[in-house]
Amino acid sequence: MYNSPVLFDKSVTIVNQFTVRNGRRKFVIIADQSGYEKAEIFTSEAAGTVPVEFLAIRGVEDGERIKRFLLSQTMGTQFYISAAWGNAVMVFKLGVEAGLSEDEIQVVIIGPKRRYVYCMKCFEVTGVAEKAESTECGHCKASLEIGPFYSIVREGYIGYPFIPAGKEEVVGS
Amino acid sequence: MFTQRLDFKTTDLDTFPFPFTSGNYRYSNDLKRLSNINCIEVTPEYRLQVEAKRRLLQEQPHIRFQSFPHTLEMQWEVFEMLIDMAIDRYPQHFEVLKDGDNWTFRNHIFGESDSFVFGDASTLPNEPLDYIGRHFHNDFVLMVHRDSNFYLEVGQVSYAALFSANWNKGMSFDEIHAPVPFVSRKGDELAERVRKFLLSIEPGKPWTRINWNLMADRWDVNYETMDVWEPKRSEITPESAGKLVRLRVEEQKFYRLPRSNAILFVLNTQFLPLEDLALRQEWFDLTYSVLQDIPEPMAKYKGIAPFLPQSVEYLRRIDEERKSELRK
Ligand code: HEM
Ligand SMILES: [Zn+2]
Repeated sequence: MYNSPVLFDKSVTIVNQFTVRNGRRKFVIIADQSGYEKAEIFTSEAAGTVPVEFLAIRGVEDGERIKRFLLSQTMGTQFYISAAWGNAVMVFKLGVEAGLSEDEIQVVIIGPKRRYVYCMKCFEVTGVAEKAESTECGHCKASLEIGPFYSIVREGYIGYPFIPAGKEEVVGS
Repeated sequence: MFTQRLDFKTTDLDTFPFPFTSGNYRYSNDLKRLSNINCIEVTPEYRLQVEAKRRLLQEQPHIRFQSFPHTLEMQWEVFEMLIDMAIDRYPQHFEVLKDGDNWTFRNHIFGESDSFVFGDASTLPNEPLDYIGRHFHNDFVLMVHRDSNFYLEVGQVSYAALFSANWNKGMSFDEIHAPVPFVSRKGDELAERVRKFLLSIEPGKPWTRINWNLMADRWDVNYETMDVWEPKRSEITPESAGKLVRLRVEEQKFYRLPRSNAILFVLNTQFLPLEDLALRQEWFDLTYSVLQDIPEPMAKYKGIAPFLPQSVEYLRRIDEERKSELRK
């Protein structure tokens, strides 16, 4: 569905530290190599509450295996993803496809997050650094001011076109 | 290429939805029951507006029309509703011949006749709402009711005031209104209250409100062309404001569709140059008063901050002149 959740830098599922979700019957922790340490800390924190299952992943090549694993989980499971940005996005997507809601997922990102800007000139997205305030569209080269609003359909922040000081004005309607 | 310097304004003032009822304006839940529930209107500017709209849809299809593929059935519901309204109000201008599902729709103003199979989108040149929308000067938006919210699933938007069908596609009512400093006179947040109100709208009982803005020498201001119009706004002077600044009003109508349960949002956008306000003294006085008292966040949001002082100064001079005439 077009309004299914997507993982972006300000996503409600992203946390600094995992927390124990009360009322769940099982915890599943999924971690790549970079997220292993955080996962281990939480595993010992959660010990003695509910059963915990751990899945180690490497990268996209594990897609099919992760999918089968997610689909085999029962209702009432809480999912914890501890991984670098690319892997977290992949697992998150597979989770949503398997029917999970944001309420059932917590994500800890190891390393930098990626942000994308949706160009209002050519309607393409461009990746930007986490703290960037403006950018140049990677497709049409328009200068874009990065707005605070995010579209889960366009999977990017709004990029308002502007003409940088000193540049020739382009004619358009 | 489409020109934004369209020489277009409302000439029949009785059809102009003047927005102000008091001398200062704040956001509120200002929805009212709509008395004439037929939203089709043929004004003296019908041809001009519809032709401009068609040109925009042709030149900028991705900006002006957006939809999800699963909305076709809903679009047919709107299609039928708009045709019924058009024929009901203007049988001399619009006509439909039905032979089962084989329909012929005629627009006598443009001398057009199209035959198609009702319910089969492949027999139309455009998607159903995009097709029928090209016969009326309004903008049309379909907000689909899901999980206590409304999601924008179809939009034909040619008179944008920061309304992009492309950007807002798939957004909820709350996401769409996130940029608006949507606080009431008392300071409370309005988005949730208005959304709850929309949930209560029933089929056959549409509601209406009027939104307004000022435009500096433009037909529409959208995000897609922000680089073009944004720097130009400060070029307005008190001397040019009378002609170049227009009071832009959107008469908005909200219909609950009985079959799909979606809300159809219809916009009638009209323009009046500031200099024409003097044709109705009451309009002039209200507008002059309102514009002197716009809260800073509202002026910034509406994009009028760079030419609001010049516009007020223009009105002040006219007001002064009139008062000194009276004293003579
Ligand atoms: C349900 C259909 C509606 C749609 C699709 C819609 C859409 C929009 C859009 C696209 C904007 C511009 C947002 C931006 O700056 O990016 C806007 C602004 C606004 N909307 Fe709505 N709206 C709807 C209903 C309402 C209702 C019922 C109210 C009622 C109280 C309302 C009040 C406003 C106000 C006050 C603004 C700011 C406009 C200005 O100050 O110029 N809207 N709306
Ligand atoms: Zn671009």
